[in-house]
This record gives sequence, C-alpha cells and structure tokens, in this order.
Amino acid sequence: MNLPEQKPDIKALTGLADIQEFLNRFFIFSGAPDGVVGLFAYLAKKEEYDKGQMILSEGRRCDRIFLIKSGEVDIFQNFKERRFHLQLLSHDSLNYFGELALLAEVDWFFSARAWTDITLISISRKAFSKVMERYPEAYKSMVDKIINSRIHRFVDQQQYLMDNLAIDAWRENPDQS
Amino acid sequence: MKNMKTHHSGRITERSLFYWILRRHRSMQLFLLLIIIVSLFFKVFPLEMQKRIINEAIYLKELQLLYLYCGLYIGAVTIAGLMKYGMNVLQVYIGQKILVEMREELYQHVLQLPLQFYRKMQAGTVISAMTAELNAIGFFLGGAIAIPITSVLTFIVFIGFMFNLNPLLALLSMGIYPFELVVLPYLQKKYNKLNNKRVKTTRSMANVVNESISGIHEIHGNTSYELEEKKLGSFIKELHALMNKLFIVKYGIKFANNLFQSLGPFILFIVGGYLAINGEFTLGALVAFLSAYEKVYDPWKELIEYYQSYQDAKIRYKQIMQIFDLDPPHLLLPPGRDILALQGNISFKNVRFTVPGGIKLLENISFEIKKNEQVALVGYSGSGKSTLALLIAQLYDASRGSITIDGASITDLCKKDIGKNVAMIAQHPFIFSGSIADNLLYGIRAISENSNKEFPSRKRILAVVRDVGLEDDLIRFGLQAVLSQEQCRPFKTKFLRMRQIVQTGLRDEFSSAIEFYDADKYLYYSSIRDNLVFGDSVNGEFIIEHLPDHSGFMTLLRDTNLEKPLLTIGFAIATETVNLLEDFQDDEFFFRDNPMEHKEFTFYKELLARLKSPQPKNTEARKFLLILALRFIPGKHSIISLPSAMEKKILAARKMFQKTIVGINVDCCKERSACSLPEKKGEASSLKGFVPLCPSEYLYTRTLLDNILFGAVKSDQALDEHLRTIATQAFEAENLLDEVMDIGLHFEVGSKGDRLSGGQKQKLAIARAFLKDVPILIMDEATASLDNTSQARIQGLLENQFKNRKTVVSVIHRLDLTPAYDKIIVLKAGRIVEQGTYEQLMKQKGDFYELTRAET
Repeated sequence: MNLPEQKPDIKALTGLADIQEFLNRFFIFSGAPDGVVGLFAYLAKKEEYDKGQMILSEGRRCDRIFLIKSGEVDIFQNFKERRFHLQLLSHDSLNYFGELALLAEVDWFFSARAWTDITLISISRKAFSKVMERYPEAYKSMVDKIINSRIHRFVDQQQYLMDNLAIDAWRENPDQS
Repeated sequence: MKNMKTHHSGRITERSLFYWILRRHRSMQLFLLLIIIVSLFFKVFPLEMQKRIINEAIYLKELQLLYLYCGLYIGAVTIAGLMKYGMNVLQVYIGQKILVEMREELYQHVLQLPLQFYRKMQAGTVISAMTAELNAIGFFLGGAIAIPITSVLTFIVFIGFMFNLNPLLALLSMGIYPFELVVLPYLQKKYNKLNNKRVKTTRSMANVVNESISGIHEIHGNTSYELEEKKLGSFIKELHALMNKLFIVKYGIKFANNLFQSLGPFILFIVGGYLAINGEFTLGALVAFLSAYEKVYDPWKELIEYYQSYQDAKIRYKQIMQIFDLDPPHLLLPPGRDILALQGNISFKNVRFTVPGGIKLLENISFEIKKNEQVALVGYSGSGKSTLALLIAQLYDASRGSITIDGASITDLCKKDIGKNVAMIAQHPFIFSGSIADNLLYGIRAISENSNKEFPSRKRILAVVRDVGLEDDLIRFGLQAVLSQEQCRPFKTKFLRMRQIVQTGLRDEFSSAIEFYDADKYLYYSSIRDNLVFGDSVNGEFIIEHLPDHSGFMTLLRDTNLEKPLLTIGFAIATETVNLLEDFQDDEFFFRDNPMEHKEFTFYKELLARLKSPQPKNTEARKFLLILALRFIPGKHSIISLPSAMEKKILAARKMFQKTIVGINVDCCKERSACSLPEKKGEASSLKGFVPLCPSEYLYTRTLLDNILFGAVKSDQALDEHLRTIATQAFEAENLLDEVMDIGLHFEVGSKGDRLSGGQKQKLAIARAFLKDVPILIMDEATASLDNTSQARIQGLLENQFKNRKTVVSVIHRLDLTPAYDKIIVLKAGRIVEQGTYEQLMKQKGDFYELTRAET
C-alpha cells in the first residue's frame, strides 16, 4: 500500500478556534476574557438532532445551555393538555436557550424540539461553574448578561402570546367571567 | 458441623494452654517422641567414635580402624541431622494443626458471644487477638512437648556419657548450672512483665488505628489528622520505651548464657589438662569430653529458650482467653431434638430489659401477637421500639419477665431455632464482601446445613429481586460486567440476540445515541486505535499502551504513512492541552474529554519542554505522543480536529492490519458469520483470541452493555431513559433480561457493600430476609432509607404477599403506613402506652392520635 505522505500542520489541527469564534458572537460571551471563552469552547459539546426530534422536555432536570449552530428550534409549553408554541429560534439571529440552567438547578419549564435538522453547541452548568470558579471577576458580568437576555426573551415570548391570544382575553373586573 | 457444640463441653476460654497440646493429635506427638528417643543414640554415638579415633586408630596407627570409625562417625552424624530435620518439620506441622483447631473453635465461640459483649469490645482487640497473637502461640505449640523431652533426655544422656568418662570432671563442669538456675529465671520474670505490657500497648495501638480507619470520613471532614496522630503517638512512644527495656533484658539473658557457657571449657582445660599430663586421662577421652560438654549445653540452652517461649505463650494465651471469657447465652443446636418449625405466636409478659448501670430500656412490656398478624411498633425516638424488636429475634435477652414463641420460652430456644424461623432486617443492614448472590443467599446458607431447607431456584431469586425493586440495579450491574469466554458461553446466543434487536428493530431509535461499528466507515466516536485495530485481543496484545512497542503494528503505520501524522496529532494534543489547562491540571473535570489524563499533565509538559519538533528521534518520546494520538476520539475530544484526509488512510490501514497482522478479512464482518480467531494450538501469539468488531462476535474485553449496543455511545445524555425503556421492553418480550440479571447477581459488592448505594444495600437486605421465607419477619425501620416509591412497594408486599402468611413485627416511623397493620403497639419511654387497631387508637385520641397529628 502506498499512500502519499502527509504531515498535518499543527495549526490546521486545532479545532477550538472555530467554536471560540462562534461563542464570541453571542451577547452573553461578548466581552469575557479570551481565556474564559477558550475554556468554554473546549468544554462545549456538539449535539446533533434530526428534524422533529425532542431536545428537551418540560419537567426534566435542566443542566445545560444550548446555542444554535445551524437549523431552527421550536420552543413550546404544555398547558391544560394543550400545546402552546412560544418561539421559533433560528441560527440566523444567534439564538440560544436554556441559559438559566447555568445559574440554578431547576427543571425545564418549556420543551424544545428540532424544527429542522439542527446542530447545537451545549455548555453544562458544571463546566460553567468550574470555569467561573477560576475567573470570579468575569462571573458577575456574565450573570448580568444571562439575566438580561432572559428578560428580553420573556418579553418576546409574552408579546408573541399576546399577539396570538383570543380577543376576549381581557376582563374589565376580576368577577367578570 | 464439627465444633458446633463446643461451649457445652466446657467453655473454651477456661481450657489451659496444655489442654490443646495434650489432647490433640496424640498419635503424631507419640511418633515424634519415638523419633526423639531414637535420635539420642545417633547423637552420642559420634562422641564415642571421636574417642576411639584418637585412642585406638591414631594411637595404634591402624588405617583400617580409622576408616571404619570415621565412616561410622559421618553416618551417625548424618542420620542425627536428618532426624533433627524430621523432628522440626513434624513439630511445626503439629503446632499449626493445633493452632487451626484452636482458632476455629475460638472464632466459633467469639461469634456466638452476645451483642452486649461487642458494645464494649473494640474490634481492634478482637482482630489482633484472633490473628497475630494466636500466631505467636502457634510457634510454641508444636514444640511444647517435644522440646522439653528432647532437651532433658539429651541432657541426661550426655551427662551420663561424661560421668562414664570421668566422674570428677563431670561433677566440676556441672557446678555452674545451679548459678544459672537462679540468675536466668530472675531475668526472665522481668522480661515477662515487660512483654505483658507490650502486648497490651500493641492492642491499644491496634484499636486506635482501627478506629481511625473506620472513621476516616470524619477525620478527613474535620482535618483532624494531627489529633489522630497524637492519639497514636502516645502509644508509639510507650511502645518504643517498652521495647528498649525489653531488649536490654533480652540481651542481658543472652549475655548471662554466653558467660556461663564459656566458664565450662575453662574448668575442663585446667583440670582435664592437668589429669591428661599426669596420664590419668587419655587424650581421646578429653576430646570426647570436650565435645560432650559443648553438646550438653545445647539442650540446656534449648530448655531455657523453651522456658522463655512458654512464658510468652502463656501470657498471650491467658490474655486472649480473658477477653472472650464468657458463655454464649444460647445453645447453637437443640439438644436431642430437631430444629423447631414455629408458627409465629409471640407473647411478652412483664418483660424488662436493663443495660449495665441499671438503666431500664424496657419495663413491664406485655402483649400478644397471633400467628400471621402484622404488628407495627411505633413511638417517639428512644422509646425502646428497636430494643423490643431485637428481643424477639433473640439478639438481646430480657432481664426479667417471659417471652415465648408458640408457647416455648425464648430462653429455651437455640440459635438455630431462631435462625430457621425468624428473619430480621435492620435499619442499617450489614452487607458482606462477596457477590450480590452471596449476600442474597447468606441467610439460607446459614440454616440449610442443619435443616432440609432447599436452596431457592433462580426463578424464585429473581422474583424476590423484582419484588423488592432491585431489578434495575441488577440489570445495570449485569450490563457493566466484562465476561470471560467461560462466563459468557451459556448466554452468548441470547446476548447476541439482544445486540441484533438494537441493530435491527431499534436501529432508528438508537442511531441518534450510538455510532454503530461498521467495518467500512470511519468511527468518529471511537478512538483512532479502535479505528485501526477494529477489534480486541483477549490477551491484551493490542491495548493502546502496548501498541507503540508492537513491531508489526509500527511497521504497518510506517507502510501506510500514518506514523508521522499520528505523531503530529499526539504533539498537537499535548501542546494544546498543556497551553489550555496549565491552571487546571489538578482538576480531573477538565480532562474528562481529553486523551490526556490529568495525572499525566506534568509528564507531558516536561516532555514538550524537551521536544523540538513533532517528530522526535527519541523512542520513548515517540511512544508517548503516539499513545495520545491513538486515544484520540474525534467526536468526543474537541481539543483538536481530525483532518478528513486521515480518515481514508486509517480505513485503508484498518484493512491492512486485519489482513497482515491478525490474518482475517474484515469484509467477513459484513456477512453474518464468525470471523474471530479462537486460540488454537501452534498459532503465533499475535493471532491468539483476536475478536474483530463484527456483528456476529462477542467482545470479551468489553462490557455486556458495549456488546449489546455494539457501537460507541455518542453522549451519555443521548442514551436516555426513553431508549433504555424501549430496549428493556424489547428484551423482556423475548425473555432475555433474566440472563442479564443473572450476571448482575455476580456483581462484587466490595468490602461492607461499599460499591452499593444506601438504598441498594437496604433492598438487598430486604431481599435476603424475604428469600429465607420464614414465618416470623422482624423489620427494624427496614425501609427508612428507601425513597417513597420503594417504600410503598415493600409495604405492598406485606399487605398482599405476606397477608395471612407471616407474622410481621415492624418498627416504623412513618405513621401513614400504620393503617395497613392488624395491630399497633405504641411505646413511650420504654413502656407500652397503647395497643390496638388503627381505628381503635385513633378513636381513643391518646398518644398515637397525638403522634399522627404531630406528623401531619
């Protein structure tokens, strides 16, 4: 067997730069020290889902944030045995979900499924806190950003729901049925 | 069941040390004595020859005689030596045999001692007494009779020989012995006293060490290392001082011995020389006399040493026996009757239980439990519920009043009566080292020897395992097992069938979580090594760490131009990791998804500092870079990325490896026929037992789970409960899970069951008791450490399976479980305050009612 000899260039082998560059584009990672984002890039996991596949289900323990690398994700919630669509997140607008998982041990309060074939980058709470232990000065600003982004999302989702609510949702006084 | 009735034929601890020596292995000891007596002749005979060689052969210049006497001399010396050798061997053999019996009988006694004994006794004391201290006695035992008899007889024979030669000289040389008889015992007494203290101090030290090891969690938690060191330190110092004194006395004894030994020849030369010069004593006789004198000292020395070791053994023996000097409270086997089969009627009348110091834990306890009744014991903490349960199980004995089972007083029941009829589950059960199966069958094994209790079938064992909710745990243990060819053989077809189910019927569901092995594809979730070797060798020949030294493999890498790129990959992994994780090298977490282990960080950092290029010349450096590369899993390790051009080369190398190194065609994996190379006679070692990653092959180096999945797990999250459930259902539909559980039964639980969780231990203990299938079941908060679902499951068993089948006495804290019981007994401060059905007690609005209100 005689295959052409190839000596891979070491620089060509390093795969972290791409992910680091991807993370840097997100609001919550912007402004963080290079070392921090580099470590997140190293600890991040790539997850792939087929169209229609569940990514996470309401009520299950949440343990990681998902950043959408490619494709679209449907965020929805079940209420009184009905399914309410909350948001359709697409990679075009640098979307992510599950950011609260980085801060607290809670259960998912929504569900997510792949709207198209998707690739996600996830970072676990354990990884987040392990890195933050070493960079306490970056922690406060990251928490601020996570909470702010959560508020933005909350407002977005509320507006979406209001847009789609039935016209008779408003009651003049609480006794009115 | 030998030695079972020991305590009735005189308590073992009351026997003297010589009881063992005089009553055990008498015929062997007699044989030893015979050898001793015969050997005496061969000891004296050479002396007579010495005399004759000088006086007759040399003096008369008779060569013939010289040869004859010398021949007889060497013959006798050789025979005496051989006999001595035989005596030594026999002595040790007898000693060890007696020691074995002593240890077995003592252990039997120790195990039967009441629980109260163990409350005040430190484990270290018992362990050191049963092991090291008994060993020391063993050395004494073998020679206990032989040594003094040999020594005394030898002594007499040599003295007699000396008197025969010259009575005056003999008397003179014996003159020093009386002095020895005064000085040596005096020193010995001192030695004994010190030795006694040494044994006690060593024991205390053993206790401290034992306590620290048992409480190591607490020590780490409190960082109380210095505190513990100090505790031991005082004993170490004491022991050091004692040992110093001990050796001063010991060598004092030796000095006195040597001095006395040298005095003898001095007298002999002065007096004997004078007599010889004056012609009153032949030269030959003087030489023989000198030899005899030297020889006579040996038995004397042996006697002194014997005396020392006797004293030492006596002290140790006395101390050991003192520790355990009490009677087991109950007979083990019933005298002159069969073990009873009880129904389960329990009656307490005015029972009191006190502990040393006169504290009453239970007072005036009276109640009746009819057969098959289920009774809950409730009450405040410390009210005596558990003590009451232990009394029924005969683990404690009442101080006053009467306890009967089926009308027979519990004091008249022997241990085996209770063992066969009562099962007890403690709140913190003890799990023995061994397998799950060993622990499950523990209770049954204990009683099956004396009764015709049958061993439960596999079906029954697995049914009980399911009943108590241990099924999932057992399946998990089974799946994690790495099975040898022999272990796997009976189930292989079934396991391969499970693989087939995942590979075909469930393929779509599993492909999101598993990257199935495929001979034609590059596997992103398998290591480069797995991609190249694509199989395992049972003898470990192709494990990553061995491959850089494998000449065939290395030649293949060179032929396929893979060596240099792989070295570069190893170099890149090392460089990137060292740069990125410099500050995190002590944290294992950051190395979970890295080919480098955290403990290797410093090694690779130093290696990189020495390397100038990714292609070092040094063989060792190349080896370690290659190891990192071979461990690299592209789908899991993000530290570098694999150039796609490498994939093709690796795939080509895979085929070549299979063809040239292990001699199989990897394409056969596509067909469903076996391709492995089982060990055959005459094959080169490299070919032995290689199993490729073929769908038809069981991989003996991997876990059962790996074998069923037959692929690399993409992420553990992906292999979620949903997939587990559908696989379990599919396997169950074809009755395949019993085999996995069977394997799980062989899971080794570790010392004290350390490899099990608290809940698993508890469930195992419950299953162990249920398997015994006895009429009386005592549960002392047996489900307290289980989660609510498991607790409800066990409660359900009591209500359904055991209803009208078993008498159940259950100590419980959770009062919401009490309505299911036939009767509730409420205790407060060691007395029964109420008893009755749930409804009666709730209506009464007394203590029970208050307790339930407090709970809600």
